[in-house]
Amino acid sequence: MDTVDLSITALLIAFALFIIPVAISWFYRIGLTRSLLYATARMTVQLIMIGIFLKYLFRWDNALLNILWLTVMVLVAVVSAVRQSSMKLSRMLHPAFISFSLATFLIILFFNIFVIRLDNVFNARYLIVLGGMLLGNSLRGNIIGISSFYSNIKRDRKTYRYRLALGATFSESIRPYLRDSVQLALKPTIAAMATMGIVALPGMMTGVILGGASPEVAIKYQIMIMIAIVVSTILSVVLTILLTLKSCFSRYGTLRDDIFAEK
Amino acid sequence: MIEFRGIDLSYNGRKLFRDFDLSLGRSEKVAVLGKSGTGKSTLFNLLLGFVRPDGGEVRFGGDTVDDKTVWDIRRSIAYVDQDVSIGEGRGSDLIRSALELKVNASRKLPGEKMDGLLDYFELSPAKLEDDITDLSGGERQRLAIILAVLLGREIFLLDEVTSALDKDLKKKTAQFFAGKDSWTVMVISHDPVWVDNPGVSVFDLEREEWIQ
Repeated sequence: MDTVDLSITALLIAFALFIIPVAISWFYRIGLTRSLLYATARMTVQLIMIGIFLKYLFRWDNALLNILWLTVMVLVAVVSAVRQSSMKLSRMLHPAFISFSLATFLIILFFNIFVIRLDNVFNARYLIVLGGMLLGNSLRGNIIGISSFYSNIKRDRKTYRYRLALGATFSESIRPYLRDSVQLALKPTIAAMATMGIVALPGMMTGVILGGASPEVAIKYQIMIMIAIVVSTILSVVLTILLTLKSCFSRYGTLRDDIFAEK
Repeated sequence: MIEFRGIDLSYNGRKLFRDFDLSLGRSEKVAVLGKSGTGKSTLFNLLLGFVRPDGGEVRFGGDTVDDKTVWDIRRSIAYVDQDVSIGEGRGSDLIRSALELKVNASRKLPGEKMDGLLDYFELSPAKLEDDITDLSGGERQRLAIILAVLLGREIFLLDEVTSALDKDLKKKTAQFFAGKDSWTVMVISHDPVWVDNPGVSVFDLEREEWIQ
């Protein structure tokens, strides 16, 4: 079964549904119309552009170009994660970029080589689409993990220092905070896994089924992508924290003051 | 043992110390007095490497406190801070996690010693199973003191550790620390129980001089 293509007219009919939120917003004076229209316009333009871009990327399917594009995606993900984590970009950019790249590339290559067994492991269809799913889904966990680690140590400054004063090594003194923030970062993903298929049909599965594959193939891909998301989230959170320690703590083991973005 | 030499330090644009000197010999007991805002707690923070002086040096046991020595220095000091920010969770877990740190790994699990300390400081063992945040200020202070003693170290930095204790307990606490000959004790406190103790020297931080 092939997917039914949507004509431009069909899409315009979909946009007609916006009468509902606009009417509600107007009636109750929620003041949502402007931001809703702005976000919709952005989404539409961005998706049209990425659609054209991906079309050529898939057509050329050049390994180097694919890697380059995934790197750009990682960079955008890192910048957006750091911005939202209230940490200073200059302190976090390098280490977070390294850890996101490692976590993303390693996991995708593992799946492409050992699980999907592709002939060309840099195949655009798999590299970029899987990469996008991984980055999109591990981003939230990373933001939660990184910002809770540093803001908890800042908030608990005295307790943290007390632990140092007890004679803890640096790694002993940060360990409880590392544990808490990784737990917190993984919580949404683990909760989503536990209810998967019952509460909601995940996006990947919907896409694969609409794309014409059978539900059996779709669930196999969904299981694979969930494993990939969990592993890459935990890997990138832990790596990012470990790699930023050096620039965020003094050699006395105390947290630097100038690592948080000014509000 | 502990020496502050020509310390200059500004904090938030205010000059806390200007060419400040103070030294303590081994096994001395010293109470530091001074109004709030005179930098009493900062002295401890300097020694523990949480604050660095703008000028001068802090020395401990012959070593200058720097980013290399500070880790060992912290391991030979037992410190109790003013707000007893010792964390959350059960008191018994706090003690266990402190004794599980590498530096304390050689220490035996507290048995008799712990019972003796709980008894002396009149803290019921049942209180160890309560969440630290549910304890009263005085109970928390006693828990922190007991943990500090359990570490088996000989140098104590005690920041206002008797403020929430009743009169009898204040006295017992001061006698406890003043009575240990080999211990070096530096205490920040307004409580007369320390000042009136004959074994304790008193340093006035505002006038920068010994008054006893």
